[in-house]
Amino acid sequence: MSIKQFLSLEWKQFRRSSFFEKGLVIKILMLLAALYFAGIAIFAGVIVFFILKKTLPEEDPFKIINNFLIYWVIGDLVLRYFLQQLPVLNIKPMLILPIQRNVVIRFLLLKTSFSFFNILPLLFFIPLTIVLIVQGYSPFMVVLWFLSIISISFSINFLNFILNKNNPIFYGVIVFLALISGMQYFGIFDISQYLGVVFYSFYSLGYTLIIPVLLVILLFKANYRMLKKNFYVDGAVLAKKQSFSNYNLEFLNKFGKLSIFLKNDIKMITRNARPKQVLLMSFFFLFYGLIFYTQDTYRDLPIVLAFASIFVTGGFLISFGQLVPSWDSEYYKLMMSQNISYKKYLESKWVLMALACAVSFLLSTPYIYFGWDIFAMIAAGASFNIGLNSFITLYGGALNRVPIELNQKAKAFSNTQGFNPTQLLISLPKLLGPMLIFYIPYKLINFNAGIIALALSGVLGLVFKSYFLNLIEKVYQKTKYKTISAYSEKK
Amino acid sequence: METIIHVQDLSKSYNADKILDIESLEIPKGQSFGLVGNNGAGKTTFFSLFLDLIPPTTGQIESKGVIVNHSEEWKPFTSSFIDESFLIGYLTAEEYFYFIGDLRNTSKAEVDELLSEFEDFFHGEILNQKKYLRDLSKGNQKKAGIVAALIGQPEIVILDEPFANLDPTTQIRLKRIIKDLSAQNQVTVLISSHDLTHITDVCERIVVLDKGKVVKDIKTSEATLKELELYFER
Repeated sequence: MSIKQFLSLEWKQFRRSSFFEKGLVIKILMLLAALYFAGIAIFAGVIVFFILKKTLPEEDPFKIINNFLIYWVIGDLVLRYFLQQLPVLNIKPMLILPIQRNVVIRFLLLKTSFSFFNILPLLFFIPLTIVLIVQGYSPFMVVLWFLSIISISFSINFLNFILNKNNPIFYGVIVFLALISGMQYFGIFDISQYLGVVFYSFYSLGYTLIIPVLLVILLFKANYRMLKKNFYVDGAVLAKKQSFSNYNLEFLNKFGKLSIFLKNDIKMITRNARPKQVLLMSFFFLFYGLIFYTQDTYRDLPIVLAFASIFVTGGFLISFGQLVPSWDSEYYKLMMSQNISYKKYLESKWVLMALACAVSFLLSTPYIYFGWDIFAMIAAGASFNIGLNSFITLYGGALNRVPIELNQKAKAFSNTQGFNPTQLLISLPKLLGPMLIFYIPYKLINFNAGIIALALSGVLGLVFKSYFLNLIEKVYQKTKYKTISAYSEKK
Repeated sequence: METIIHVQDLSKSYNADKILDIESLEIPKGQSFGLVGNNGAGKTTFFSLFLDLIPPTTGQIESKGVIVNHSEEWKPFTSSFIDESFLIGYLTAEEYFYFIGDLRNTSKAEVDELLSEFEDFFHGEILNQKKYLRDLSKGNQKKAGIVAALIGQPEIVILDEPFANLDPTTQIRLKRIIKDLSAQNQVTVLISSHDLTHITDVCERIVVLDKGKVVKDIKTSEATLKELELYFER
């Protein structure tokens, strides 16, 4: 089987997926977003040299760029970890065909090279390289430097997949990053200076190019081995031993009919890899405020604080809620034909999110340390989350038709991080809404007025709860058939 | 006997292809109704329309007075098992049965009572396994799904290919269960199958679909199996 045949299969899978059934508006918006990011990358690549030259005239801008490259490496790695999809290829049909395994695996890995995350650095570094050459740096050496950087970019690409699949290495890298950033922060050891020298040596010495090139080859080989080991239908299945866990959830019975769904959702979250990941992530959101409340610069920018306050209590709401009803995609037909009223189903999801917000709010009490005004803001944010954000999120869910494989993290050939651009677009009003609700009364009257407005918006949402749920139910009903058919699409 | 299901001018098309086209079909209450036909004849499409999982292009299905794609009122008295997407993989079989029981206002005790009738059907491989449904074999998953479809005293039960993937012992037991349902409890059972022997054994009436159209509507008798075999031999 040739690469060409693989490519044609991939193209067909891509072209025929339900993604293209999305509205024209969304397609255009996504195209614009891609162009926007590409434009920014190119623009930054052209201008960064001149900006540095102007702000720090006595230093070599190229050296400064090299000193900062480590931040790019880390940032890129983090971004990829959360956003980049792992290579997905339906291997089952390939296993019994006369194709060599190495061919399939090699294709799978090379396929990842065409990811947006690999193209973006190119868009930044190519203009930068040209600028450097024009500015009189040795063209040959600059090209060597460029090749090194691109090798590093690809190393990140392959490292990411290992991190996604291998927990010990993942924690190792986390600890390592925490250590160096800690030492950097407390001024014990300025790693970026030393790494800057290494990055600069790709230019000054040239032959150090061999390091990143070897790194790419090494990581490619490591990925290759990892995939080859798992290249069986039961490869991942055998490794995991599913232990059965049970617990008493009777306390939820006071929610009446809703408790049926709540109990089920809790089992769903605790027994499946993907929702567990989301739970962990929403826990991290609790600490989101620390980034903002500790900085004096943001103290005078209450609008940014309002933004942060939404996240402190809204982690679960945002990360779990945006994928309603996909969480039930594996058995959606059952849900649609069983004796379930749509409204009750939606209401149960709402209760779950509201409970999560309430729990997050309780857990956020230590923020009182940063002052009562901060805590009042978090409280107002929680009110907004429960009363309004939850409904907006549910509404957005109606447009979400990406099926989720609940327990997919254990499998080697499926994606662990589903990323849905539609959701990203829907989340914009969710984030901008509270900022506006806070900002207008804050500007017109004062800080307290802003907080009261934000809190009241949530209360208002609760008052109109039934109305909102009816409205959302109608949207879900209308898109029901489309959702069912998208969920039954085989991955 | 009173008619419980009315199908009228029902058709389903994708683009220009008409994959189902039933002018009229009436099913009386308590009948065991069999649907046979080659692949693509429209059996699953018919069931999906019945459960309002896909919208009809024209016409309607009226189930006990409820037009299924206009109101959700058919859900309380209808239950079904079409394929694995009707199972919740991360639950154990018991949890799944109780979940369905909760949805259908059936208490745990009542579910347990029903399950006890199926002990020999389960063959000791479903209950008390401390295993999630997703870790059961295909055949056992199917058994769980079929039994779950009987929880909560439904008046209409839909089973798509219930005999496929089951071992011979279970097939025989399932046949008895289906017969009892329609004979003793007046439950209307709609099943489809590729196995002509099984379906003639079980169903009082057999409808043959071909390319979405009803080509035969037979009241089952001694001669039915022969007639069907002859038809499909063409």
